[in-house]
Amino acid sequence: MNDIGEFTLLIALAVALYGCAAYVMAVRGNRIDLYLSADKTPVIVWVCVVISSAALWRGFITNDFSLQYVWAYSNKELDTFYKLASFWGGQKGSLLFWTLILTTYMNVVYFQNRKKNIRLMPYAMAVMLVIIIFFLLLLNFSTNPFERIPLPPEDGRGLNPLLQNYWMVIHPPTLYLGYVGFTVPFAFAMAALISKNLDDGWIRLTKKWTLLAWFFLCMGNLFGASWAYVELGWGGYWAWDPVENAAFMPLLVATAFLHSIQIQEKKDMMKVWNMSLVLLTFVMTIFGTFITRSGLIQSVHTFDEATLGYYFLAFLAAIVIVCVYLILTRLPLLKSKNELDSLLSREASFLINNLMLLGIGFATFWGTIFPIISEAVRGVKITVGPPFYNQVNVPIGLVLLALIGIGPVIAWRRATWVNLKKNFQIPVIIGLVTAAVLFPIVPLGGRSEIFTYVTFILCAFVMASILREFLNGTRARMSLEEGGNFFGELGILTWRNKRRYGGYIVHIGMVLIFAGIAGSQSYSIHDQKHLKIGESLKLRDYTLTYEKLTVVEATSVKTRVIAQIGVYKNNKRVWTGRPEKEFYKGQNQPVTEVDVRSTIVEDIYIILADFSEDESATIKVYLNPMVSWLWTGGWVIAFGTMICMWPDRLEQRRRLDRMKKQEAIFAPAQE
Amino acid sequence: MNFVHFIQLILVMAILIAVGVPLFRGLSKIKLFAKLDKSGEEYKHLLVRKEEVLLSIKDLQFDLKTNKVSEQDYQKQRKKLELETIAILEKLENLEELEKAKKKGKKSSNPAKVV
Repeated sequence: MNDIGEFTLLIALAVALYGCAAYVMAVRGNRIDLYLSADKTPVIVWVCVVISSAALWRGFITNDFSLQYVWAYSNKELDTFYKLASFWGGQKGSLLFWTLILTTYMNVVYFQNRKKNIRLMPYAMAVMLVIIIFFLLLLNFSTNPFERIPLPPEDGRGLNPLLQNYWMVIHPPTLYLGYVGFTVPFAFAMAALISKNLDDGWIRLTKKWTLLAWFFLCMGNLFGASWAYVELGWGGYWAWDPVENAAFMPLLVATAFLHSIQIQEKKDMMKVWNMSLVLLTFVMTIFGTFITRSGLIQSVHTFDEATLGYYFLAFLAAIVIVCVYLILTRLPLLKSKNELDSLLSREASFLINNLMLLGIGFATFWGTIFPIISEAVRGVKITVGPPFYNQVNVPIGLVLLALIGIGPVIAWRRATWVNLKKNFQIPVIIGLVTAAVLFPIVPLGGRSEIFTYVTFILCAFVMASILREFLNGTRARMSLEEGGNFFGELGILTWRNKRRYGGYIVHIGMVLIFAGIAGSQSYSIHDQKHLKIGESLKLRDYTLTYEKLTVVEATSVKTRVIAQIGVYKNNKRVWTGRPEKEFYKGQNQPVTEVDVRSTIVEDIYIILADFSEDESATIKVYLNPMVSWLWTGGWVIAFGTMICMWPDRLEQRRRLDRMKKQEAIFAPAQE
Repeated sequence: MNFVHFIQLILVMAILIAVGVPLFRGLSKIKLFAKLDKSGEEYKHLLVRKEEVLLSIKDLQFDLKTNKVSEQDYQKQRKKLELETIAILEKLENLEELEKAKKKGKKSSNPAKVV
């Protein structure tokens, strides 16, 4: 099976090369025979990559340690659950997994569009095949997952214990689905540029794809934060680590794109800007993979055998050069046909939102590459830490938060101050009431605490502004539909305007995330104490009593040392925490497994930092307020995105009507 | 030849057949794209624009009902959008007329070719 897996990887490369060349020749020579032949290649490449992937998975499940990759990331004792996830545990497998997702996406796009968008499809497929070729070249000639060991060892090295967590099965695939998903809008944007078909057709084709990729990347980031929170044992969820940044930057650019395409659709303007944003989003995803696989930047996320930096750098440079060339040569075709009516309009607020998002993106990019630049210029690697990111990004983030509340209240095209004043009255009052209520409660000593205070005020303002939108919309509907009940009309309002109200729900999720970050970053407290059995530690209203230490032989390779901590509030037992240390055979460092009691107000986060033979132990406790708001915000975003993405029958009907009308007047495009 | 080689051979043959058959079906004379009809493309674009402007009018009405625009601004914007719609409809009509005339011309000059 390994031979077949390796062979199909090579065949996939050959077929992808042929497919790409055939698509290009079909378009250049206007030949349908070549096109039909090329059109078979997406499915063939996918089948080949699926066979390769199945072969590698088989290697993991059957403990085939003749494969170097299986030996490096698995062992006999590993749960089947983690054996399946080990597939993307290292560089080779993760590249194959990337290729598997990319070829799968390519085929979905192929089956969706092959009969509908004949003018763009050959170009888009050729672009996707070029990207697949790059990954297949790496897999075949640089980092082959089917590399053999001449004398296979008895057992494997095993998966890094830090990765033996259920998030390993969820977080990387979600992140990859997001990263890879941006290839589709990129391919169609390139297709539009190459074919000079530069109306907004490509945007209509790909906006849902962009939203899907954005959704997965957003969820991937949140899942990663959640994983870091429970696994790394430092009490936090985000550390501005270069690889975290790498996943954050495309998300920012894609968010800007998702907002600004609405202006292009509505007003037929900002074509260059939108084109640049979609290309930049893809460039950022490749930059992210470069960061992870270059070995240039140290991070907990980078792969052990990160050696592909130069390949990715060359690919990145090639993409940037081609994109810039195409945009520059197509500039006359990308000219806007309309202008901004007023600076006091939703379009203008979207523009400012774009600038803020790109501002955060640029600051993050600069902080991420600064170690590389400083090393190149001064010979010293200077790492930029969280204070830099917080100092720059927090103020910009607050402006962005305010815009989430301002945007919905401003009308498209032109708003007037009188109406704005009227519409902002209630949200501003709610913001001011929040300010007054919080003023005596929250500490306002330092810069960070003031920012947190402002964040809470803005969160209240934005929430009021969004809820007011739902309320006003429902009232307007109720005035039309006599006798309709409030919740029924609210449902109909949302369902009939999925994009607008789904978007507002996503914004509610963002508000929850902002509040969660502000609360947990500013008001977190912690303490650490070495305790003997029966001794206690006090932290604010809580008393934590160290009750016992248990040693459990979980498997033949894993030993768990569990501390039992009774948690009391006002002399009443509220929870029993069981933080632990896990010792894996053959691993020098134990793994810390924290225990968390999460409520809407705060998390009690307990770490077993150390223990002695006399059963005394060092216990570290954090009280992290409002962390659960972050995860709840994530689920709200997921719900809102689902509504936005839900197929719109009216839109489909309009598209069909357009096609019929065009065909009635003009001959069908295809002979 | 062992079993693995046999499977590999079958795979290569299947791929060659799948990819090669369209090349030998005598389709090389059929064009992939009809000549790009600029009027058709313009017509398609205008249909989309018409929809967008009509949707903008609907949004504007909703904005008036939810007090986002004043009556005065509403009238001004509506007028502007209506003029934009009229301009688009006129362009669409012109293109339709032009196309009809073109078709008529073709019919009379070469009636045998029309299918």
